Formats: sequence, C-alpha cells, structure tokens
Amino acid sequence: MVFYIARCAGQFAVALVGIVTVAFFLMRAIPGDPALYMLGDFATPEALATLRARLGLDLPVWQQYGIFLARALQGDLGMSVVTGEPALAEILASVPSSASLAVAGMAIAIAVGVPLGVIAAVRQGSVVDVAVMLIALLGISFPVFWVGITAILLLSHALGLFPALGATSEPGFWKGLHHLALPALVLGLSVAAYIARLTRSAMLEVLGQDHIRVARAMGVPEWRIVWKLALRNALVPVLAVIGVTFAWSLGNAILVEAVFSRPGLGSTILKAVLARDYQLLQAGVLVLAAAVVLLNTVLDLLYGAIDPRLRQQ
Amino acid sequence: MSAAFELRGLTAAVPGEKRAIRLVEDVSLSVHAGETLAVVGESGSGKTVTFTSSLGLLPKPGRVIAGEALLEGVDLLKLRPEELRRTRGARIGMVFQDPLTGLNPVFRVSEQITEVLRAHLPISRSAARDRAVELLTRVQIPEAARRVDDYPHQFSGGMRQRVLTAMAIALGPRVLIADEPTTALDVTVQAQMLDLLGDLRDADGMAMVLITHDLGVVARQADRVAVMYAGRIVETGTVAEVFAAPRHPYTISLFRSIPDIEAPTGTRLTPIAGSPPDPARRPEGCAFAPRCFAVSDAAGCRSVRPLLAGVGHAASCHRQSMLETTA
Amino acid sequence: MTTAIETIDAVAEAAARRRAAIRRYTRHPGFMIGAIGILLLVMVAVAAPWLAPHSPTRTDLMNTLARPSATFWLGTDQFGRCVASRLIHGAQVSLQVGFFVVLISLSAGTIIGAVAGYAGGWLERALVAVIDILLAFPSFLLALALVAARGNTLDSIILAVAIAYTPRVAAVMRSVVLTIRPRPFIEASRAIGLTPWTIVLRHVIPNALPPVIVVATVSAATAILAEAGLSFLGLGVQPPTPTWGNVIAEGQTAITTNPLISLSAGLCIAYTVVVLNLLGDGLRDTLDPQMRRNTGKLL
Ligand SMILES: Nc1ncnc2c1ncn2[C@@H]1O[C@H](COP(=O)(O)OP(=O)(O)O)[C@@H](O)[C@H]1O
Ligand SMILES: [Mg+2]
Repeated sequence: MVFYIARCAGQFAVALVGIVTVAFFLMRAIPGDPALYMLGDFATPEALATLRARLGLDLPVWQQYGIFLARALQGDLGMSVVTGEPALAEILASVPSSASLAVAGMAIAIAVGVPLGVIAAVRQGSVVDVAVMLIALLGISFPVFWVGITAILLLSHALGLFPALGATSEPGFWKGLHHLALPALVLGLSVAAYIARLTRSAMLEVLGQDHIRVARAMGVPEWRIVWKLALRNALVPVLAVIGVTFAWSLGNAILVEAVFSRPGLGSTILKAVLARDYQLLQAGVLVLAAAVVLLNTVLDLLYGAIDPRLRQQ
Repeated sequence: MSAAFELRGLTAAVPGEKRAIRLVEDVSLSVHAGETLAVVGESGSGKTVTFTSSLGLLPKPGRVIAGEALLEGVDLLKLRPEELRRTRGARIGMVFQDPLTGLNPVFRVSEQITEVLRAHLPISRSAARDRAVELLTRVQIPEAARRVDDYPHQFSGGMRQRVLTAMAIALGPRVLIADEPTTALDVTVQAQMLDLLGDLRDADGMAMVLITHDLGVVARQADRVAVMYAGRIVETGTVAEVFAAPRHPYTISLFRSIPDIEAPTGTRLTPIAGSPPDPARRPEGCAFAPRCFAVSDAAGCRSVRPLLAGVGHAASCHRQSMLETTA
Repeated sequence: MTTAIETIDAVAEAAARRRAAIRRYTRHPGFMIGAIGILLLVMVAVAAPWLAPHSPTRTDLMNTLARPSATFWLGTDQFGRCVASRLIHGAQVSLQVGFFVVLISLSAGTIIGAVAGYAGGWLERALVAVIDILLAFPSFLLALALVAARGNTLDSIILAVAIAYTPRVAAVMRSVVLTIRPRPFIEASRAIGLTPWTIVLRHVIPNALPPVIVVATVSAATAILAEAGLSFLGLGVQPPTPTWGNVIAEGQTAITTNPLISLSAGLCIAYTVVVLNLLGDGLRDTLDPQMRRNTGKLL
C-alpha cells in the first residue's frame, strides 16, 4: 500500500509538469500574439514591443518554456495585468467558493446518481428503469445554465424557497449554505444524470458475474447482494466516471456561477477573458487542470482501497 | 426411504424468436442421503441449467415451465422467494463450475464466508470469522487462520474451489451439488478435491450430486449415474449397471471416447463427431440421431422422440434391443 | 468463374442481409425517434428563411416583450424581435456547430487515436501521455480560453470547440483500436508487408468506424451544448445573430415578464441533444452490440 501511494504521488508530480508543458505549447500554438491580445485596441508598435519584452515573448521558444516551467513550479504564474497582483494568488483566492460549489454538487450527484443507477439496473427493463433512464437522458440534455434559470424562476421567484443569488456577503455558515443550496442542486443534478447512466451499466455487468450467482445460491439476501456485494465491484468503474465527469462538471460550474452571480473561479476567469488578462486566464486554466489531476490521483488511491488486485502489479 | 433431493419432470425454457426454447426437458432424477449421483454429458447438454433452475437461479428471462424440485419432500419451485432464499445455502448447497470467477474479487474470503453465515444465522461477526477458519480447516486449506483474511486473487484455483466448497457446506446442508468440481483444476489436485468431497459427504451423511463429464470420476465416486444429452436424461442406472452394459448409443460413444485403463495400449480413441445441438435447433425425433452410429430410419430415430424405458436401468433409444443383442 | 446463377444468389443474399439490417434499425424505437427528430431539425434549419414568420433581427421598440399571439407565436423579446423566428434561425448555428465540430474533431481525433493505438513504442507513449494530460483540462474551459484568444466568430468558435473536444475522441478511438490490433487480419496485413500507414488507413480505421460513428453523434450533442454555453456567457457568436444560447441569455433579463423566451430556447437545445443521444444510443445498440464495452465508459 505504501508503494502504491508513493506511485500515485509520483504520477501526480509528473502530471503537473505535463499540464504546465501542454498549457504552454497550447497557448503558443494558438494563432495570435498574446501581447496583441492583451493590448487590444491600444496596440501601438512601441507598446507591443515593451509588453513582449516584459512577457519574455522575444526569447526563443525553448528558453521561454524553460523560464515558464521553472517559474510555474515555484508557483509563479505571472502577474494579473489588470490588478497587478500575482495571478496565482488571485485565482487561489477564488478557489474556496468554487470548491464548495463543486464538492457540494459532486456530493449531490453521487448521492442521487448512484442509487438511481443501481435501482435501474436491478429493475432492468421495468417501468422504473425506463423512467430513471428517461429522466437521466433529459438531465444530460438540458443546458445546465437553463436548468439554473428555470430553477430560479420556480424555486426562488415563484415559491420563494431559495435565494436567487448564489452567494451572500453576510457571514454565517447556514446563511452561506442556504445560498449555496440551489446552485449546488442544479450542478449536482446535471452530473447525477451521467452518473446514473454509468452506474446502471456498471451494475448490469457486475450482476451478471459468477460470484453474484454464487451469493444467491448461498442464500444471501438480495438487498445485501445488490447494495454490498455487487455495488463495491461496480464502484471502480463508477469512480472512473466520476473522475471523467469532474472535469466536465467544472465547465458546468463556470456556467452555474454565472447564472447565480456567484463569485468563484468561473467569474474570475470570465473577468480575465473580458479584461483580456492573459496571465490570469492562463493561471485559471492551469489551476483547474491541476484540480482535475489531483482528483484523479485521489481516485487512483481509492481504486486501490476498493480493489485489492489494483494495489499489486 | 424417500429421496433427499428429487426432480420430477423438470422443464426449463427461455423465450425464443417464435416459441419458448427448452433448455432442459422433462428431467427426473433423485438422490438419497449418503449417496452420490453422477450427472454426465458433454458440455452444453444442460447439466448446469438443470440444477440452477431447480434452485430458482436461472437468469431471467429463463423460467421453469414444468416439473418439481423436491428437497426432502418440499417443492422448492413453489416456495415464496424469502423461504427459498432461507433454504438455499442452508439446506441445499451448490458449488459452481468455475472456481476462478466464483468468489467476489473485492472482498476478503473471511468477509464472504461471514456473509453466508450471517444470511442464515444470528451470529456475531467475530464468531462468524472463527467459524470461517474452522470451515477452511475442514476443506483442508493449510494455515487457514492466516489465509482467512486474504483476497481471492491470492489463492490458487484449487484453493478457491475449496473456499467455495467451504461456503457451500457452511450451514450443514442435506444436499450438495458440485458442478464439475475438478474440470478447472490441475490433474494433481483433482483427486484431492474428489476425496475431500467424498469425505464431507460421508461425515455429514449428505446427498451429493456430482456433475462431471469425466467417466473416470463417475466410476470412482458415484453410486448412480444419469447421462444427459440435449437437455434430456438419456440413460440412468447404478454405476455398475451402466458401466457393465451401457444401453444408449450416446453413453457407448462416451465410453469409446475416453482412454480405458484396461485396454491394450495403442487402442485408438474415437471422439464423438460433431457437437450437441443448439437448444433452439434440436432435431425432431431423437436428438442424438445425427451423431448416432446406430441410427435407423426404420426405427423412427428421426421422427419419433424416444422415451426413457426400463426399470432401474433405463435408456431412451429406439434401438435399445438391437444394441443389447449385439453388445 | 462465377456463373450467372451464383451472382444472382449473391445479390439476393446481400439484399436479404440489407433488409435484415434495415429491420434492426426500424425496430429500435430510440433510433427511429432520434433519426426522424434530427431530420426534422435539419429541415427546419434549411427552410428557416421561409418558415420563420418574421426577420430574426428586426427590432421594434414599440412592441417589446409582447405576449404570444397569432403573429408572434412566442411573443417578442425586449427589443421587439420575434422569439419564434430567432429560435428557428438559431437552429442553423447550432447544427452548423454540431456538424463541423464533429467533422473536425472526429477526423483529427480518429487519426491521432488510431496512431496512438497502433504505433507502439515511443510515439504511442508520447501521444497517450499528451492525450491524458489534455483530458485533464476541462473541455469547456479550454474552448472558452481558445475563443477568448481567437475572437468570437462562428469559425473560431467551431475550431475552439473542436480542438477542446478532440482529445476525448482520440481516447475513445485508441481504446477501440487496442481491441482491433490483436485481430488476425491486422497480423496478416503486416505479414504481407503493408506499411503501417496503409494498415491504419485501410484496415484499422474502417474497422473502428462503428464506435466512432456513435461517438460522433454524441459529440455533436456535446458541441451544441458547449456553443450554447459560450453564447450564454456572451462569448459565442455575437448578438444580434440569433443563437439559442443568446436567446436564453437575453431572455434571462426579462425572465419575470416573459419566461417563455428562455424556456423555449432551452427546450430547443434539449430537443436537439435528446434526439442526438437517442440516435447515438440506437446506433450503439444496432451497429454492434459488443460496442457498449468499448465506448460506454468514456462517454
Ligand atoms: N440463461 C440461458 N439462456 C439461454 N440459453 C442458455 C442459458 N443458460 C444455458 N443456456 C444454453 O443451454 C444449454 C445447456 O447449458 P448448460 O446447462 O450450461 O450445459 P452443461 O452444464 O451441460 O455444459 C447450452 O446450449 C447453453 O448455451
Ligand atoms: Mg455446465
């Protein structure tokens, strides 16, 4: 197990370097000049030259990459052009708000999606199965921002259950939670739809395996077969799905934050885009990618905890 | 004395394109306490389906459409689901064909045995674990106390088969069904496994059904034998009777296809040409006719389904009398 | 030499096979609904100029936020534009995005994935590493960053979304190729000395196509959702061009007076995504039942 953890940690480090590298070359591969992009309408030849020198854009690419990587690994992702603050610090400052949204959303998604997927699989072909799959199909088909708007319309304006704003400046945990509830629900249910679909197919596969038939032959009660013996087997593919959907749900989180006017990474990144703050945008992209890699590392550790065969090798 | 386990006219089917496809048809057999019944036949002849369906374990949309499965006189197929669950594992145990996939890969062996014990008995976790060690010792797993918390992948195929056997006998069932308990094992451990099963049967006075396609195993272990082909029993009798004078051409072909210890070395084996028919495309008349060496149109082999005929030693063949006179 | 009769037999047999295949499709309700649904949408998009009762961009400040009526089926927005006409024209943008994104990301992803699955050695390892890293970047964010850098014309949005979603296609393609690689006909092609490129183009890709077609329909749905998201954030095709995302965003400000604006635009998007997903699921079930395994987990 210690080896396994060490290996996961090593892979995490390598992936981080990979992210920085890919981000660097991706940004350079996009046609267009960052300096020109940042200056926009204010681009005079002199201003361009100064900015390029400041960003190191006049150096050979490999040298730029070396400097970029060295700095990035020390946590230096440049300065926000607009605020003059370090870009990374600015991004990290908006992480807690987004992280609480993402965590709450994921928790809802798992709490709703996994049981629904299990029930659909157990009742394969029944009305329940068809209904769950239909709802799940609708869940992945409506744009998340539209679901957010509709939820505000129904649950805030019409019923007054939740505030329409996804955040509040008032202090207090419960106040914050009250404002977080609706955005988290909207984000969570869209991801739940995916998780339900994939849990169902993973469970169907497991329920057809020999050891389940053995458990039945031994008289183990059906609910224990489904919710304990089969579900733990299905959990590895389900976790893999959660890893894949996490990156996707971060994209949705940006939209949800916009709908609910909730401060966070999404609004910071949007601000960066609108202000043409190249460094800030780049820092935002890198931090989100790093979050995905971190989650995947944690999931790798969990796979090992769930399936003993994966710990070896 | 009444049988510990008895099937009467068991017929199981799955829905087909036009009509139901019968996987097993009109199977009747019985086994008494302390006795071993061997069920033999090529793979695909319906041995496994016979017993999974009698335990209500045939996967959907498969279904038993006729017959009874009597465990000490009680028809399992008429029990309510909860009663059937309580019976399975407790009073009738089954060890399935493939030991490599029969254990749950993500649970420790101790957890899996505990799960079975606690499904039937109100015992604590620690008591169940102690019992698991005893059971593993009983199926002769070395260092059982140390191995009990291992995961299935840490055991060899033979050892996994023993663990599955331990689970099947955990609650002292009256009947044990062992589906090809040696097929997946090394030759060296096959004999040990069979001896273990024999010992368990004798110690507890269980009735045992031994599914196999190895006639050598039948000769050594069984008291009576039922030969299956294409979902039906084609010949049945005591081992002595059937081995001395097989009556069905299929049984005869099976004997010809195995090496005979007493035969002079160099005798050629004659495997049966072709393979058993797909349940959806069984021929009219005798299902074995297309592969039969004694087939005759005059006797109705291709048009009339033969019935199991005979008292004690019975066979279903239109040409029985001809075979007996020439044998 | 084949005789005429043999030829006729062969033709008849092929026709029978084709009929059986067609029956497989027509018997699948999801596939039929999806196929007909998408066909309808294409017809609406093509016929938009004739179908739409009004110009989608003509404003009328005397008639803003009108209730639905016989002339304005879904009412008007805050600039007095006909919502129904904007939605009908919006289908053009969505379908173009779906189509071209799939075209680009599928060609690029298929080739990259096929090479990554077939090449072996350092090339395979390098490509797999790059694909894995790219998968860590949230695709929508990547598309957003690319659009930000390239500007928000329709072309650049299509390109940005295509680039952002290519790694996923490549990953699916590779996993499919890995199951094809060990098959005998690949061995045989190698044995008769075909070059790797020829094998990939002539044998690997054609055999991997069924799952890739499924991926294509599903990625078209994803692309349409992504474009709508960009539009909603104001980073998509710029107003006054009607796109469904734009209509939702504009409708949001008038949500309490005329909720129908945002709601109906959302329904248009959902309709498109549902029919594409039904089509994809239907293709998955009918093209090759085994395929569930290959693609199911990655989507
Ligand atoms: N659930 C099922 N659905 C359809 N056909 C089945 C099913 N289970 C088994 N069969 C078919 O029934 C026949 C008998 O199978 P089985 O009992 O496993 O044979 P055996 O155990 O003698 O090798 C085989 O042709 C098999 O393909
Ligand atoms: Mg069998």
